[in-house]
Order: sequence, then structure tokens, then C-alpha cells
Amino acid sequence: MHNRASLGLAIVIMVLAGWGTLSALAWPLKAKLFPLVIGIPLFCLAAAEALWTLFGRRGERQAASDFQLSTDQAPEVARRRTLVAAAWTVGFFVLIVLLGFQIAVPVLVFAYLKLQGKEGWIFAIVFTAAVWGFFYGLFDLLLHLPFPPGVLLEWLG
Amino acid sequence: MLEALLEGLLLVLQWKPFAFMLAGIGIGFWVGLLPGIGGATTLALMLPFIYNMQPVEAFAFLLGMHSVVATTGDVTSILFGVPGEATTAAIILDGHAMAKKGEAGRALGAALASSLVGALIGAAALALAIPIVRPLVLTFGSPELFMLAIVGLAFIASLSAQGARGMVRGFLAGGLGLFLAMVGQDPQAGVARFTLDTLYLWQGLDLVPVLVGLFAIPEIIDLVVRGTSIAGNVPAGRISRGALEGVKDVFRHWWLTVRCALIGTFVGITPGLGGAVAQWMAYGHATQSARSPEERSRFGQGDVRGVLGPGAACNSKEGGALIPTIAFGVPGSTSMAILLGGFFLLGLVPGPDMLTKHLPVTFSLVWTIVLANIITVGACFLLLNRLTALTAVPGHLLVPVILVLVFIGSYTSNSSYADILVTLVFGAVGYFMVLAGWPRAPLVLGLVLGKIAENYLYISVARYEAAWLTRPVVLLLLAIAIGVILYPAFQAWRSRTRKAAHA
Repeated sequence: MHNRASLGLAIVIMVLAGWGTLSALAWPLKAKLFPLVIGIPLFCLAAAEALWTLFGRRGERQAASDFQLSTDQAPEVARRRTLVAAAWTVGFFVLIVLLGFQIAVPVLVFAYLKLQGKEGWIFAIVFTAAVWGFFYGLFDLLLHLPFPPGVLLEWLG
Repeated sequence: MLEALLEGLLLVLQWKPFAFMLAGIGIGFWVGLLPGIGGATTLALMLPFIYNMQPVEAFAFLLGMHSVVATTGDVTSILFGVPGEATTAAIILDGHAMAKKGEAGRALGAALASSLVGALIGAAALALAIPIVRPLVLTFGSPELFMLAIVGLAFIASLSAQGARGMVRGFLAGGLGLFLAMVGQDPQAGVARFTLDTLYLWQGLDLVPVLVGLFAIPEIIDLVVRGTSIAGNVPAGRISRGALEGVKDVFRHWWLTVRCALIGTFVGITPGLGGAVAQWMAYGHATQSARSPEERSRFGQGDVRGVLGPGAACNSKEGGALIPTIAFGVPGSTSMAILLGGFFLLGLVPGPDMLTKHLPVTFSLVWTIVLANIITVGACFLLLNRLTALTAVPGHLLVPVILVLVFIGSYTSNSSYADILVTLVFGAVGYFMVLAGWPRAPLVLGLVLGKIAENYLYISVARYEAAWLTRPVVLLLLAIAIGVILYPAFQAWRSRTRKAAHA
């Protein structure tokens, strides 16, 4: 899996660097100097990584000094839960755009506690109210951050 | 000089400045804990409140707030893997890994103690360096500053992964960061580069949504996959004892902590590099302190040295950054630029006057940094049990709260939905980088350094053409960059030779 991810990243970087270099050719020197200095070696390095992944030794994995994903779960369980997490994350974004933060925050917290956490009604309601109170008190009342009402609500007037 | 130092302390200890400092610390404490709400933004928000204050009161308030943000930002980074501040992202790599192993207390103890040491060293540097720093800063022109950026990138790219393959990936990530830094209107010719015809991208990619996505989203996904609390099924043990271990770690790796604090101070002094660079350079240096490739492979898995380095550098940079701000009116970072605005609001002009006529005020800044950090670290230690207990909270209670904080933190950068979209995109990038075993640190450093490096490169070429490459300090920095790149290969060769000799 990590080999496919590495190949995918290398190809994306190759495409980006290639596109960046070609686009830069049309710009004045002031604007193209840095893109060319960075874009060309970046393309070459990405191509080297892609070739290394395709033709290098299989199963060779060298960890980065970085966070590692846990391997406690079976691969199919991990894959399913990853998709679930991605769906919640993207779903929250969609909710914010449609309903605005003011409504999306309690809806997400309550839905997550009920559907994902299987919590009881009372706990879910109290916890949601606490999170919403914190959000509203700090970001809206105290800091006066501008939260628009959401596309759907604006459309409904 | 000593009289002015003492007078500075007495000025801060007067009840009004001290009360304002406590108020500032209180605000900075919570700003640091909340992801995305930056110290610089809060400084700007608080600036209007200083109009009626005396200079000492105003600086006690502003600097008291600003100098503790990084300390409490470390707490969020370690416990939740979400950068509390853009300047506290590097500590996640090992700090959060320790929290997941049930060593949250130790990680926090190490971070807090190293932060305090860093802050004290930064403050001492500010006190000592003022008369002698001018010639040092003035020897660095654009070519040297460009090379300094390259050295920083070489450090982190070559040391954040194992072997030749890892180095290629490190440089790829760094190059991608530099490439992404070019998004937006170019500062020299005004050409809109890689903006995809959107107005949002004209100003370039904002660091906060990128950082939050890159680091927080993979952690959230992993938390859902594990289905447990952050510390999993590992017993947290006695937190206070763990914290004490962390404090002891500072003394066990005393010289590393001091060196990283000095790196932070130096980065702080250098105008334009900024705090986000200091932590990564210090992390790179901490990684370099590993004696063998096997030892280095422990970084990112919860090595306490990966906490000590960024912790010390992050706080020492504040003292360093104040040096050019006070002495020359050249702010080293966004926050210092805002603080400089505070100087002018109060009728103070940075420069020679601050080192002669207003010397006690200048020293009051030193004491504010010292006192604010001592008070904050003390408060954090008192609250440690409560803070660390959060790692035992079930994941399904944390995930929605973290998601809310992540999205709000990202949204508040520019009050635009596009910020959240950027967070999601970089969340995916971060996840795939982790999955593929690519280091994320070089990408962040490339993004941070990109604009500065481009500016310095352009000025160097325009002013000196190719001759900038022959300047002595440039050659020295180039040699350091090459040395840094070759060092892991040398280390691997030495390790192989030793093993062969033992066999």
C-alpha cells in the first residue's frame, strides 16, 4: 500500500513540477527564476522516486522520522474506518457550507456521538450543548468572529 | 548596565504592570491551547487596548501574552497532535507519539522544562547581545540569508528520513513545500502564479490551514481507525512522576537543549526567518544528535529529544527576535512587526534610544519574558493531571471536538470556506505522505522558507549576478549544507564499518 501511495505522490509532484516549469517559461525573468530553479530539480527527483518505486526492491520500507499510522487493526477494518473518518470530515465541511458553523457544530457533535459513539440520548444532548456553549461563547460572543449563516439558509432567506 | 537591569525588574514588579502581565498570560495561555488562533492575530487584536497604558504596562501585557503562546501551544500539539500554533508543529512528531505510548506526562514535562530553559536563554541572549549583535546581523546580506534558508532545508530534508531513499523523499517534500510557496502573486513582477484563476490563491497559501490539515487530519483518521483514546490501552501511569522524568530529560540532554535554544535565538535574530523555521531547524539538529541510523529511526516514534529541541527553540526565539526589533527597528517575524507597531503607538522609536535613554524599558522586556514563562510553566505543571487526563478520554468524544477546533482554527485564518478546503486537501496530502513513509517536516519548512528564499535569491542575482556564489559566508554556508547532506551517509558508513569490525 505504501508503495502505491509513494508512486502516486511522486507522479502528482512530477505533474505539478512539469506544469509549473512549463508555465514559468512564459513569464518575465523576475517571476520565472525561482519556479525554474525549484521546478526542474523537483521534476527530476520525483521521476527518480517513481522509477525507484516501480523498479526498486519490493517490500523495502524506510520509515520517516514522523508519525506512523497504527497497525493494530486488520487491513480491511482499517480501510473501512479510514473511509468512515474521511466521510465525517468531508461531511462536516459540507454541513458548514450549507448550514453555517452555528448549526453545523451541534449537528456534527450530536450525530457523531449518536451514530459513531453509540452514546445515550441524555449524554449526547448534554455533551453537544456543552461544546456548542463553548463554541458560541468563545468564538461568537467573546471574539466576534464572523460566521456566515450558510448557503442553504441564505437561499431560503 | 546592572542598574538598568535591576530597574527593569522593579518596573515589571510594580502592581499595575504585573497585573497587566498576568492578564496577558491568561489570554496567551488559552490562545496557545486553541489550535489555529495565532499569537500574532491575538497581538493585533489586543493592540488597540494599549493606548492608555504606560510603555512598561503595555509591553508587560503584550509580551506576557505573546511569550507564553508557544508554551501552551506545545500542550495541544503533544496531547492531540493538532498544532496549537504554527510554531509548535514540530513537537507533534515525537511529543504526540509519546502521548500515544502513555508518556504524555513525560512529554509535557520535557516540553515545559525545555521551553523554560529556552525562554531564559533567549532572554539572556537579548540582555547580553544588544551591544554586540549589530555587526553580526549587518554581515548577512541577501546571498547569505538565501544560503541560510538552504542550510535549514538541507538539515531537515536529509535528517528526517532514513537512507538514500529517505533523503530523496525528504528533498522531494522540501521541494514541494518551496513549490507551494510560489502560489500567489509574485512579489517582483506581479505575475499571478499557479492561482488556478481564483482570487483566494492570489495572496498565496496561508500557513495555518495547511499546517492544521497536514498534521491534524491524519491524526483524526488514525484515532477513528484505532477506536480507542489517544493513549490507547496503554496505562497513563502516574502523570506527575512522568512529568518529573520529562524535567530530568532536560538535564540528561542538557547540551542538546542549550544548543537548540541557541539555534532558536539565532533564527529569531535573523530578520525574516520567523519562529516556524526555528522549531524545524532545532528538530533537525536534535535528529542529528542521534549517534547511529538505528538511533535516528526512533525519532518520530516518541524520542524525547524530538520534544526537547523544538520546545527550547520555540521559546528562545522570542528573546532573539526582540534584538533586531529593538536595536534596529527590523522585526524578525509577523508578531515582532505587530509589537513594533506597539512601540510607535506608545511614542517609542526603536534604535539607539532604546539602548540608552529607555534602557530600563528594554530590560523590562527581558524580565517580562522570564517572569511570564516561569509563571506559565508553573501553572501548566499544576494543571498537568487534568490536561494529561484528556489523553484517556474515549476517541469518539474527542473526534467531533477536535474536528470543530480544526475547522474553526482553519476558517479563522482568512474567514473563508476556502481555508477549510485547503485544510481538507492538505489533510489528504498529509495522510498519503504518512502512508507512504514520507516526512512532512521538510514540506512545512519549504513552505515557510519559500517566499523568503525567493526574495533573497532574486536580490542576490539582480545585485551581484553569479558573483554572490563566491562570497565567503555563502561558501561557508554551502559547505555546511553539503556536510549536512553527506553526514547521514557518513554515519551509515561508519556504523557498517563498526559492525564489520565487531563481526
